[in-house]
Amino acid sequence: MRVLEQAVVHFSRLCGIILLGAVLTVIGYLFVHGWSSLGLSLIFGATPPLDALLMKRHVFNGLFPAVAGTLSLVALAICWAVPMGMAAGIYLAEYAGPKIKAILNLFFDIMAGLPSIVVGLFGFAVAVFLNRRFSGAIHPCLLISSMALAFLVLPYITRTTQMALEGLPLSARMTALSLGASRLQNIVRVLVPQSLSGIVSGIILAIGRCAEDTAVIMLTGVVASTGVPRSLLSHYEALPFYIYYISAQYTNSEELASGYGAAIILLCICLVLFLLAFAIRKRISYHALYRA
Amino acid sequence: MDKTVKIRTENLCFSYNGRAILCNSSMDFADGEITAIVGPSGSGKSTFLLTLNRLWEAIPRCTLQGAVEMRFNGRYHDIYGRDYPVTRLRRQVGMVFQVPNPLPMSIYKNVAFPLQLKGGVPKENMRSRVEECLRQVRLWDEVQDRLHASALDLSGGQQQRLCIARALILRPEVLLLDEPTSALDHAAAKAIERLLLELKRSCTILLVSHYLDQVSRIADSVVELHNGRLVSKAEYD
Repeated sequence: MRVLEQAVVHFSRLCGIILLGAVLTVIGYLFVHGWSSLGLSLIFGATPPLDALLMKRHVFNGLFPAVAGTLSLVALAICWAVPMGMAAGIYLAEYAGPKIKAILNLFFDIMAGLPSIVVGLFGFAVAVFLNRRFSGAIHPCLLISSMALAFLVLPYITRTTQMALEGLPLSARMTALSLGASRLQNIVRVLVPQSLSGIVSGIILAIGRCAEDTAVIMLTGVVASTGVPRSLLSHYEALPFYIYYISAQYTNSEELASGYGAAIILLCICLVLFLLAFAIRKRISYHALYRA
Repeated sequence: MDKTVKIRTENLCFSYNGRAILCNSSMDFADGEITAIVGPSGSGKSTFLLTLNRLWEAIPRCTLQGAVEMRFNGRYHDIYGRDYPVTRLRRQVGMVFQVPNPLPMSIYKNVAFPLQLKGGVPKENMRSRVEECLRQVRLWDEVQDRLHASALDLSGGQQQRLCIARALILRPEVLLLDEPTSALDHAAAKAIERLLLELKRSCTILLVSHYLDQVSRIADSVVELHNGRLVSKAEYD
């Protein structure tokens, strides 16, 4: 029995090391190949950075429009998905009866398994429908892409919110109620703040998925070269699409290196967004639980 | 002299997952007294307390039959009646659990929390009420310089006194205590016993306890439950 236990411990440790090694290898590989291209010129090209940031001049041969497009896309998709996903998760955990819960759980599990290309195709069909039915000004654009991405990541947020709330012990659930809290007060002031760490895990997963997904945006509005998105209804550039495009179409080693550089920038953007999510979680927890 | 009945239960039957926990329990509890509820483990003592503030409704697969009436403002109210809001009931019936259950908040916010939920209390009044309750449970001197530290950092005895302070802040008319001293050392338990004797002047106390010496020291009457049924009721002189 002891030998078996030792074997399980060693195997688990080995798996952990392999996983860490794989992540470090991918990051290392990107840095080895993309390091030479990293610099302000990769992002801003020949345009002075301040002029680009203040939108005074266009950036033609840099990644700035793709960075701006990716940030806009992720921010918008998260804005749609977080309130809806959290509300659905709260409903499932706190209000839904057993039958409705079973049906909706199945529905969200199926939704989580939808291939992103299918969601992209649906987004494209919606854009075509809106174009024909309402206005010729509506076409695949930032808005449609962000909504399609929100649809893609909704189940992650819903299910992690639900799991985080359901994972709280009965004693935590009963404390505020015994003090005269209404059900809604209990959810808003006690249960959600206590579940934030689980909920934020789902949001981080969603951010990562929104930042990296290419299939959805390819069909719903991203283009190779259009500049910084000017409105919700405009085309836009995005880093994952740039990486895909450049790796498929590169003509020299410099272009390929810029693709690796774009991948490093995408990783850094994800890291910053994750840290932002953690900071917001900490702030909300502090305000909800500790501020007098 | 006849005592005023504060709580009256009639044919109370409670089941969890189809299993009967309380059977036809009919009891009266006098106002301004400490009533101890005793009985072996699993006899339904804690469940009985949960029926008096409707907290069992937060537990799935439970059913209840029978009636519970409480006397508030000079008249009896059916606490399960549609016209009696559950939040109002729980603000009038405080509860302290066996295991201290401070919320993961600061000490101050834990005690002030019921007032914040109720709303309409100015911050200054809230602060003085928090101090008053913490003094009442003899915790003020120990925590006054760290009111904004986490309540989870307090010792078990301090946490339980904090929970009692929190239950007292709304000045409840009834206090339900589920073995409040079982996790405490002798000195802390004695301090809480003294507090309960003071509190019975202003509220009716129902105390679940396994300690018969404690019951004989502080209780005015004793109710014994066995398998969810009332076995005996006795009054101390």
